[in-house]
Order: sequence, then C-alpha cells, then structure tokens
Amino acid sequence: MEAGLLVQMLLGALLGLSVYLPLRCGQLSLATPGFFAIGGTVAALLSTRVPALAGSGSTYPIASVLLEMVLAALLTGVLALVLGRMVLRLRGIYLAIATIALVEILRVVTLNLEFTGGAVGIFGIPQPFQSAEGYGAFTLVLLALVCWMCDRLEKTRPGRAMAAIRDDELAAASQGINTADTKLLAFVLSALVAGITGVVAAHFLNSWNAKLGNFDASITTLAFVVLGGSRTWLGPVFGGLLLTALPELLRPVGDLRLIVFGAVILVGPLIFPQGLITLERLQALWRRRPPWLALPSNRGRR
Amino acid sequence: MTLLTVRDLGVRFGGLQALRGVDLAVQEGEIFGLLGPNGAGKTTLFNVISGLTPANTGSVHWQERAIAGLSSHRIARLGIARTFQNLRLFHSLSCLENVLVGMHQHARQPPLAALLQRPSFQRREDQLQQQALELLALFGLEAAAQQRAASLSYGDRRRLEMARALASQPQLLLLDEPAAGMNPAEKEELRALIKRLTQQFQLTVLIIEHHVPLMLGLCDRLAVLNFGQRIALGTPEQVRRDPAVIEAYLGGNP
Ligand SMILES: Nc1ncnc2c1ncn2[C@@H]1O[C@H](COP(=O)(O)OP(=O)(O)O)[C@@H](O)[C@H]1O
Ligand SMILES: [Mg+2]
Repeated sequence: MEAGLLVQMLLGALLGLSVYLPLRCGQLSLATPGFFAIGGTVAALLSTRVPALAGSGSTYPIASVLLEMVLAALLTGVLALVLGRMVLRLRGIYLAIATIALVEILRVVTLNLEFTGGAVGIFGIPQPFQSAEGYGAFTLVLLALVCWMCDRLEKTRPGRAMAAIRDDELAAASQGINTADTKLLAFVLSALVAGITGVVAAHFLNSWNAKLGNFDASITTLAFVVLGGSRTWLGPVFGGLLLTALPELLRPVGDLRLIVFGAVILVGPLIFPQGLITLERLQALWRRRPPWLALPSNRGRR
Repeated sequence: MTLLTVRDLGVRFGGLQALRGVDLAVQEGEIFGLLGPNGAGKTTLFNVISGLTPANTGSVHWQERAIAGLSSHRIARLGIARTFQNLRLFHSLSCLENVLVGMHQHARQPPLAALLQRPSFQRREDQLQQQALELLALFGLEAAAQQRAASLSYGDRRRLEMARALASQPQLLLLDEPAAGMNPAEKEELRALIKRLTQQFQLTVLIIEHHVPLMLGLCDRLAVLNFGQRIALGTPEQVRRDPAVIEAYLGGNP
C-alpha cells in the first residue's frame, strides 16, 4: 500500500471521529464536512497569503502548521458554539437536515467569495513534509491524540452524560444533566476535530476548493460511523480507515468498484446494526486473546 | 417544615383538564401518598413538580422558592429526584453506570485531572464507584453491577430506577408506582425498604401507588385525586373512611 493512501485513511478516521462525537450523544449532525472545509480554507489562505508563516527554509515550517491548526480550531469552535445553540434544539432527522443546510450554505459562500478562490480554489499550498511518510507520521500522532481524548471522555462524567442523553434525553435531564450544554460540548468537539483535520488535508492535497465540503462528503463520513459503529471511538476509526481504503483497493475491478463500495455501505449495517465494532465484540475478543497478550493485571475495575 | 407546596395547580391538555385546582403541602420527613384511579392526573402532578410539564395555573414552591418554569435539570439539582411509571433507564449502560449518571451533580472533577488521569481523579472516581456499588447493594443489585440495564428483570429495573434516583442524594423522592409488576412478597419487601430508606437518608417521599393496603401501611398522610381534583386528604385512617374516596376509588368496598 502506498503512503499517500495511508494518509487519506488516517484523515478518514479523524473525520469519522468528528461525526461520532455528536452521535454518541444521540445527535445526528452532518456538519463535519463544513467544519473540515473551514479548516482547509484557513490553512490554504494563511499558508499562501501570509509570507511571515513561510519561514526561511525550503520546507514550510511545522510550527506554522500548528499555528494554523490553533486558528482553525478557534474559528470552528466559536462557529460551532453559536450555530450549535441554534440547531441543537432540533432532534433526529431535523437536526441532520439543518446541518446539511449549514454545510451547503458554507459551500456556496466559499464558491462565491473572491478571496477563497471561488470555484477554482487555492493552489500551490506549501508543503511542510517532503514525503507522504512525513504526513503519515504527523497525521498518526494527531489521530492518536484525538483517540486518547475520546477514550478519556468515554470513561468520565461528561462522556457518561452523553451516553445517558443518547439513551433517554428526558431521563438524563431528570438526573440533573444540563442536556443542552452537554450536546453543545459534543458538537463543538466535533467541529474542532474536523477543522484541525482540514488543515492537515489542505497541505497534504496541495490545493483546496469548495467541493471538498459538500453533501457527498457528509454522507460518506456518516457511513464511516454507521459501518464502524458508534458505541466506542474504535468504531469510527475502523470505519474511516476501511471505507477510505476500499475504493482504492477495489481499483483493479474497474467500474464495478462503486457498486461493491455501495453494497458494503448498504449491507454492513443490515448485518451489523450496531456497527462492526461494539463493546461486546471487543470483550469477546479480549477473552479469547492468546496467552502472551495477558497483561500484568488490570488496574481499573473495567 | 414544609418542603413542597403546590397551590391551585391546573394543567390542561387540549380539551382535557388533567389537573384542576390541586393544593398540597408535603412536610419534611413524611411519606406522602397519592392515590387515585388511572387517568386521575397523578403522573401529571409529578411531571409538573419535576419540570417536565408546564402548569397552566397555580404555583409550585420548593421551600420558599417558586420552581414552576425551571428546567428539569435545575429542579433535580435542588434536591428533587424521581422515578418513572414507565421505566426510563439508560438501557445501553450498565447498572453501575446508571447509578453513576444519577450522581452526576456530585461527580464533577477538574477536566484536566480527568484528561490526564491524575491520581486525585482516580481516587475520587474509585470513591464514586464504591458509593454506587453500595447503593446497588441496598437494592440487591450488586451482582448485576456490570450487566446492562436492558437485561434486568422488570422488578430489578424498578429497583435500579430507585437506586439511580437516590444517587443524587435528594431531599425529596418522587416514586411513580414503584411496586407495579411486583408480586405480593416483593411489594412487602419494597414497603419495608422505603421505610428504611427514609430513615437512613432522611428522605421525604411522595409516592404514587395503586396497591391500597401497601399505601395505608406505608404513608403518614395521603391525598386522593379523581378526574384531576383532590377529593380527600388526611391520615390513612381518615382517608379510608372518607365517603368521597369510598365512592370514587374504593368502589364502596374499603
Ligand atoms: N402529554 C399528554 N398529552 C395529552 N394528554 C395527557 C398527557 N399526559 C397525560 N395526559 C392525560 O391526562 C390524564 C391524566 O394522566 P396521568 O397524569 O398519567 O394519570 P395517572 O398517572 O393518574 O394515571 C389522562 O387522561 C391522560 O391521558
Ligand atoms: Mg400514572
């Protein structure tokens, strides 16, 4: 497998996590590609228009990429805070439709703005890494950090509150959980992850345009979570890796690949309604682990 | 001291007057029962108190404070917990996690300590788990701690709802038909348990239950609702002899 595909898979896993965060709270938000596009646009604009960021060496400084990530996180975070307050009052499919509308509005605005390059987009985004391997290592670290954050979230109070809201929002509120704020937290975290991922993607792809955050992308990223599962963060990571790789791996079968890809997305959830990765399956796997995998002892109770 | 005061409460669902001019005052430390036939408005009264259903007229006071119109999570944080007539557990969570969610307002920890899994965080988390396990043990559910709530028997689900409600350390506990679906032996056990809990946790209880002998044996005072109106109020002895109650609810056969 070539390194470029691996980077794309890692980016897919990050986007899967972005869709997963609100979904774990029972909120079907399809806004991820919108925030992804904002992150990418921020990176494309800053790195091509701000000479100070370019540094003196031949490669674009990683510090500048990190700065872009911070700025993209700030922008998407504030935007998610404001938009989330409005749209999170909607439930289920109505929330999904409202977030699709948000993504479309963003896309059309980007298309028609002069400084974002309109329909053509922005080209020649400078490269912080000379090879795909460099991008791979950087993205892998980012993915590990986000996975770690999700893991801590799941095992602590806000994560328990999110799961409670997913199971029964009214009962959760009756336990003293501020459901509006908890849902907003999930939505903002989701936007941050998508925005930061957009920054990396913009550099990796070398060019950026409005098409990258469209309705198709909403559905594809949702498929990552539907196929992988939304009970633990491992689900969307697995779904994102697999579904990003699949179209490339299927290239040898020619035009048939789109049909096979569609069939996987359709049949997967039919056979595994909870997604491929569930806590029960993970526990079963753990019980049947080979003896050499036995850890010294389990520190926690779970 | 009066903990909860309901004055002239009216709730309307379209053409249906579910509650009409209901007055109640619950004293600290008492077990207060609500009797009444199906559709009398008992659950609606609970929903108004816990902030799930808005009232059309009247007021609800918690101690001195008007609480009508507050959102339900705020009311819960004041110290009012409840169970639901048609069970609303977090079915995909374990019994332990259900109780931990009930502890939400007391389980706050600094986010950074939680993220970095500091020893101080882990100690507090262990302590919370220990408390949750003790609560489960009170209801005989300690063996099911890691089981998903959805896998429990009906009676155990009712008990888990009570454990979850107690986890918030409430002053007032609203129980909506906690004995529904239990057999006579379980009902008797539940009566003794509620008595014991009120003493152990210095609880005030407002309880809805159809099983009249259980209610007469358990409650300090009772109110009877019929078609949204309060038709009787008093000690079990007074209520049992009240002609309006015999007429409306006990069907002339006390
Ligand atoms: N959300 C609602 N919308 C419309 N009607 C309702 C609603 N909740 C309760 N009711 C009606 O109000 C009446 C009282 O219901 P409820 O309080 O559940 O009675 P109880 O708990 O005493 O059996 C019933 O006729 C019921 O159908
Ligand atoms: Mg009822």
